Amino acid sequence: MTAGIILLVFGFVILSGSALLAICWAAKSGQFSNITEGAASIFDQDEPVGVPTDRFPVKNSQ
Amino acid sequence: MNSPSLLSTINPATEPDKLDSVERAEIDASTRGPVLLFFGTAIFWLLMGSLLGLISAWKITNPGLFDSISWLTFGRLRPAHLNLVAYGWAVPAAIGVGLWLTARLCRVPLLHAKLLISSAIVWNLGILVGLSGILIGDGRSIEWLEFPAYATPILFIAYACISVWTIIMFRFRKSGHIYVSQWYLFAAFLWFPWLYATANILLVWQPVQGPAQGAINWWYAHNVLGLWFTPIGLAAAYYFIPKVIGRPIHSYYLSILGFWSLALFYSWNGMHHLIGGPFPAWMVSASVVASVMMFIPVITTAINHHMTMKGHFEALNWSPTLRFIVFGAVSYTVVSLQGTFMAIPALNSITHFTDYTIGHAHLGLYAFFTMIMFGSMYYIVPRLVGGEWPCANLIRWHFWLSAVGIILMVGALTLGGLLQGLALYDVASTFRSSIEFATPFRVLRGISGFILMGGQLVFAYLFVQMLLKPGSQKKSPAHFDKSDNSSNDSVAI
Repeated sequence: MTAGIILLVFGFVILSGSALLAICWAAKSGQFSNITEGAASIFDQDEPVGVPTDRFPVKNSQ
Repeated sequence: MNSPSLLSTINPATEPDKLDSVERAEIDASTRGPVLLFFGTAIFWLLMGSLLGLISAWKITNPGLFDSISWLTFGRLRPAHLNLVAYGWAVPAAIGVGLWLTARLCRVPLLHAKLLISSAIVWNLGILVGLSGILIGDGRSIEWLEFPAYATPILFIAYACISVWTIIMFRFRKSGHIYVSQWYLFAAFLWFPWLYATANILLVWQPVQGPAQGAINWWYAHNVLGLWFTPIGLAAAYYFIPKVIGRPIHSYYLSILGFWSLALFYSWNGMHHLIGGPFPAWMVSASVVASVMMFIPVITTAINHHMTMKGHFEALNWSPTLRFIVFGAVSYTVVSLQGTFMAIPALNSITHFTDYTIGHAHLGLYAFFTMIMFGSMYYIVPRLVGGEWPCANLIRWHFWLSAVGIILMVGALTLGGLLQGLALYDVASTFRSSIEFATPFRVLRGISGFILMGGQLVFAYLFVQMLLKPGSQKKSPAHFDKSDNSSNDSVAI
């Protein structure tokens, strides 16, 4: 019982603490600054913005 | 394609887009073993879990069905169904999609594949032990945690390996910027073991007493949806919607706001399952307030997905991935807003203890989460096996069976549940009449289960075909034919 409550409190403190640290670190390291660049980070020169990357298979589809 | 030195063998003078393509193919190929193993086992348990669900659905209207077989009694079948679809299907599917996305977003080939493969084997062993435990009568009467005590440590150990792996991947990532999906993934991979361990310790190993058990039970059960399945589903939606249509997310700012507000409000929501129960009023009230605050992450996500899709809805004709994922994303908005309203005591007093709640659960776990997982698999699997899906029409069958099946199921349970709840609420009406109101809707639910299962069988067939003999091979690694997307195949819906 006591050990359980200690675990709960520690778990809560560690988890919320790390969430707080994460948001501070993210703000400090500029994760929230270059917003437009961030949104485009999943594209590259091979799969650029404007080019779809998925479609129904065409061959053998009949 | 598996060799890590592939990139270095390319002539440095090669044009940069070729390099991007090779790097991506290398990362995709590195995830093949673990991701396909998680997907394959997930689909197997989905079929088993749905079968058990189907039998339980028919037992509700025909209580005598299989009544001579102890392990097919409703008290065992129903928890076996829930735990199989939640831990056998949804968790491994989420892990598989999460592994692939993590490797892609970190821009590093998957590290420690053997650790992940062992984790998949141990996890599935845990599912088998847990399922057998429930069916032989060892199940616990804690919703969402019915697996017997001897199964849970196996599952925890398997999952802990995945969490450690995420931290390692994050540490070795090459991308400087953390894309919004990565926030969701990283958080979800760390939240789940914490939830699972805390709930198991406080309910099984060192059980708390009295009503506190109910509080911890629902703190866990709601957070497993909100802090594990939801973030993984949203991570996939935030990656695949922009990626498939080739357009960055409408407002990146809103997506980040959505993530942090979800993290802040969702964990308070569990106590709204206990409205009217023997709990301090402040616990329930705080939870109701947090449930209403969920409007913020839900609306931001809905606006963002809609605005990204705006002007690109014709893409639903030619992209199987997008079709499933947009269906899932719309369902996310619907199920979340419905959940908020269900937390308001006036409505809750009618819908609580009725089929309405079951409809809500299926809207969340099937129409939202499962559909997003199907969509993600349609994108990921061809890039792992190096070939296309064998048949476009079967994909269409899978989509329409799933969509029609789940809409019918949720519609029937919602309407039936409301009538049942109103009859229960009416002092002049008997309990029996509340059951009679619900019966035709329960029959419809049973029928919808067959339709859903049909879709799953089609998908399982396609998946096995992909493993054995994938469709037309790709010309270059993971370089899918991008030209002519509006070709005549968009006529068939």
